[in-house]
Amino acid sequence: MELRVGLPDRRTGSPADGDRSPGAAAPAAGAEADERPPDQAILAASVAFARALRELGLAVSVDSELVFFSALAELDVRKQADVYWGAHAAFVHTPDERAVFDTVFERFWAGDPMTLPQRGAEHGESDARMGGAQHGGEALPQFQHEGKAASAVDGDKQRATRDIPSAEGDQGASNQQRGVLAAWSARETVDDRQRLEYNHDELAALRKLAEDIKRAAPLRRSRRCRPARGGHRLDVRRTLRDSMTTDGEAFRLSYTAPRPRPRRLLFLCDVSGSMERYSRVLLASLKAAVGAARRAEAFVFATRLTRVTRSLDGHDLERALEQARATVPDWSGGTRIGGALADFNRTYGRRGFARGAIVLVVSDGWDRGDPELLAGEVRRLQLQARRLVWLNPRPMGLDQQPLAIGMRAAMPFVDDFVPGHDPRAVAGLAQLIGDLGGQRPQRRPVRAAVGGA
Amino acid sequence: MPGFDSIEQLRDAFTAQRYLMDEGLATVVFLAQRLRKPLLVEGEPGVGKTELAKALAAASGAPLIRLQCYEGIDVHHALYDWDYPRQLLQLRAGGSAPLYSEEFLVRRPLLEALAQPGSVLLIDELDRADDEFEAFLLEFLSDFQVTIPEVGVIRAEEPPAVVITSNRTRDLHEALKRRCLYHWIDHPDLRREVAIARARLPGVSERLAEQVCAFVQDLRWLDLYRSPGVGETLDWVEAFHTLGREEIDAATADRTLGTLLKERDDLERIRGKGLEALVERAEERAAELPQDGASSGAA
Repeated sequence: MELRVGLPDRRTGSPADGDRSPGAAAPAAGAEADERPPDQAILAASVAFARALRELGLAVSVDSELVFFSALAELDVRKQADVYWGAHAAFVHTPDERAVFDTVFERFWAGDPMTLPQRGAEHGESDARMGGAQHGGEALPQFQHEGKAASAVDGDKQRATRDIPSAEGDQGASNQQRGVLAAWSARETVDDRQRLEYNHDELAALRKLAEDIKRAAPLRRSRRCRPARGGHRLDVRRTLRDSMTTDGEAFRLSYTAPRPRPRRLLFLCDVSGSMERYSRVLLASLKAAVGAARRAEAFVFATRLTRVTRSLDGHDLERALEQARATVPDWSGGTRIGGALADFNRTYGRRGFARGAIVLVVSDGWDRGDPELLAGEVRRLQLQARRLVWLNPRPMGLDQQPLAIGMRAAMPFVDDFVPGHDPRAVAGLAQLIGDLGGQRPQRRPVRAAVGGA
Repeated sequence: MPGFDSIEQLRDAFTAQRYLMDEGLATVVFLAQRLRKPLLVEGEPGVGKTELAKALAAASGAPLIRLQCYEGIDVHHALYDWDYPRQLLQLRAGGSAPLYSEEFLVRRPLLEALAQPGSVLLIDELDRADDEFEAFLLEFLSDFQVTIPEVGVIRAEEPPAVVITSNRTRDLHEALKRRCLYHWIDHPDLRREVAIARARLPGVSERLAEQVCAFVQDLRWLDLYRSPGVGETLDWVEAFHTLGREEIDAATADRTLGTLLKERDDLERIRGKGLEALVERAEERAAELPQDGASSGAA
């Protein structure tokens, strides 16, 4: 019950709140009141601060504001560090939000008006608010390197060229350029580009697809049990509990079985230029999958990786698609499959997004990057995944080998390769997922050395 | 739990427990304690998230109650259960005590935390639990009370200090985050890491600690698959120390590198880069550090 102590008081600006902070707040308020700006001013500034953060896309709730106000009462408001960390604890909820927060806090502390700042352009962070907050600057390889190269070890040239594959050459330069432009420009540019329009039939087909995927999604056994008549594990507790009704005689034995849960589906879709005619439908299929399987994750990539799960996760089908589309800055750009997968492995992969998941990569395998890098990253992805499936819209060559070099490099590490799969045949996707099943595929032990990793 | 009156006092108490925190973390822990809010900490593996709760318990002289989350955790593992075998015995023996009373209640961590006034409750790796459990926890954290149908409402006299850790394998629910103070723990900077190493491993030479930490700091910039955490730094310092080294050298570093890096690709990359150069650089950086006293006092 002490949880919300004194919040109404603090809202009206009285920091001297009775019951458990007399030591800290009261004397300070008494002795040095003249040094402090009046409480009302602090309150007003704080409200403006919170509003500015909200406008820049941070999820600032009224709760967070109240937390911040009560934090101010506990802290020395004349110390920048104290106020900074207090506000940080109240308003920031993921590390990606820190860049935006820092910018706004600077203004707040300096007493500048809380007009919209320059969208953190100096950090290259302008899409922190567009990218569903996931992305911040982390997907901008060029900035990443600038920051890190400065303090990296001498003689680290090898690495600098690894992430921007050497084979990229001419094309790579323009791709990078494009990424920068896209990241620097505001939302308007995105809206300028062709809108994704879906007609009635398509939307209906997508709803059906969502249903189908829900039904087809492979199951796995969870650690949670449920009572089951045909189960094999004796449920001692239940049996004993039931026996109490019969005076301690266990007449009926109860059993449990592991409760099946849908396996996580992870989509990594290529939306680069060469996939252009599929990407519109692909995105829609992703929406269907994310809506259907509770544990589905969707990423798209061209030159860099974007997580679209969150922006796709909404009830309004069309709006979700539009929103997701707007978060992808490199739509129909060049391709760096290896680089994008490396991004994934290093960030989300490391946090376990692919563990035990059915990973579906949809790409034609036209990669402008280093094939060895691609092979290495696909292998790494495969090691984490339950099953790695590669759907390729292009058919095989005459020698029954895929045509694209990147695809050939990746082939040895793909559990199921599906050539000639047209993503526009929407219904096929559910069928395919259903056919896959959740079994562990047969894999040969990994060769001792792979590429030049 | 005795409270802390100022941030400085809190920091000193933690330092006495050999947990060295930076200003940001100290402020947030102080606030969590003052506002009675749960503290949600995230960070790379090995930055000392779990240690934070342990240090908090030790620093405030409170009992630590730990709830390790895992997939499939449910109320019976987290909150309470009935001791059915004992109830059954009671029934057979014809005892008169009511079967569903506190006597037969098995307290799991959450209930235990309510029962022990002023305890520190660590909810570790919440991201591993299912969504359903998170929703349940939400209720628990907002009221610090639990309703057990047969017994009634159990309320905490003094709510526990709650530390929640997450590795971000999935997004936690917004509602949960709203109820918590949030802090992202970064890897410590060079000085602090040296101070931590020296505090934790008192027998180790200062030079060795500085050089190893400088080496590891450099590695963290390399975007490895798995960056070494503080725990691994400590292991590595200890490895050198156990082998009787007073300072870092390339040959020993090569042999003991597995203490630090646990991915084959990372190992190959670092070895391919030339350990000598890295070691040399670490020596240089370590030499630039101000000598004794200053480094440990600052943190």
